[in-house]
Amino acid sequence: MSTGEETVKVWDPFVRVFHWSLITLFGIAWWSGENQDMERHRQAGYAIFALVVFRLFWGFAGSRTARFAQFLKGPGGVMAYLRTHDGETPSDGHNPLGGWSVAVLLAVILTITLAGLFAVDVDGIESGPLADWVSFDSGRVAAEWHETVFKAALAVIGLHILAIGYYQVLNAHDLIGPMITGKRSRGKGETTVDVKWSPVMALAGIAGVGALTWAVMTGFRFG
Amino acid sequence: MTRARPMLLTAALAALLAGGAIAAAASPADTIAARQANFKKMGGAMKALKEELAGGADKAKLLAAARTLAATAKLQGGLFPAGTGPSSGVKTDALPAIWAQKPAFDAAAAKLVTEADKLAGIAGSGNAAAVLAQFKAVGGACAACHKQFRAED
Repeated sequence: MSTGEETVKVWDPFVRVFHWSLITLFGIAWWSGENQDMERHRQAGYAIFALVVFRLFWGFAGSRTARFAQFLKGPGGVMAYLRTHDGETPSDGHNPLGGWSVAVLLAVILTITLAGLFAVDVDGIESGPLADWVSFDSGRVAAEWHETVFKAALAVIGLHILAIGYYQVLNAHDLIGPMITGKRSRGKGETTVDVKWSPVMALAGIAGVGALTWAVMTGFRFG
Repeated sequence: MTRARPMLLTAALAALLAGGAIAAAASPADTIAARQANFKKMGGAMKALKEELAGGADKAKLLAAARTLAATAKLQGGLFPAGTGPSSGVKTDALPAIWAQKPAFDAAAAKLVTEADKLAGIAGSGNAAAVLAQFKAVGGACAACHKQFRAED
């Protein structure tokens, strides 16, 4: 192991803020949903929608380790990683297995959010902002998806936490610290360079996602 | 003419029997399907009311939805005969408490009819604030009964 004197920046601030905000908002959405606090539930949902859409954009426009093209490997790449990884050599960003875990997490959370936008409760009283574009029956189907995929998300999140625990505890490989600070120590002889990101891209993403989220909140009914 | 009366009686009796047979033939599955269809109709009416109240508040649309709601609400109390709970083996969110606490359930069903009738009475009035308040009273009747007598999603 390196002495920790030499560190490399592996996560840009957007990836980190996305990660920890998503956890917080997922908790708020869960809690408010269980307690029928639907106004708060909708607000948490809008924020999650904005975060996930921004993360998708950042997967194409963000820093090196934020990009899907960098961390989504084919089956061969995943198998090779599983055969050769020693638990000590750090990956540059998500490892080939963790990358797919990220993709699945994003997919389930996006599905829950989209279903929630159209969902209608059993009394026809509470609903997502786009529910008036669909029938009551379709809204109920959306609500069922919202619930079912939420349960699937809990399973995927559980797996995600177990995997981190495996690296953190069994491999003494700190994954949580870098997700907070953005930095990890360099491996022996490692030449990985700091991640860089474009402020212009970030601003463009924030503006675009803000406009889209606002449109969704108003149900795409302007004026 | 003297033979007409027994014939009429026979016919009436036959009609009664046939009616009884039809009623008896309504299996738990049919009854459950009928009441679920009605609940969906009421949910759709509530959704329509909510959207009108949030947007155009079109009097004719409000009135139509409120009348559908009130007419359908009246049918629901009779669609919970004994043997149509979860023990029937048919998938239903109706809790056994409906039959264990029948008077409370009947009161909740009657409450919905009362509130829905009130809503239908004012839905065409053009007084959006009053319609909204009564819409919420109906929603309260839905929610109170669901909380006590319907399985959670």
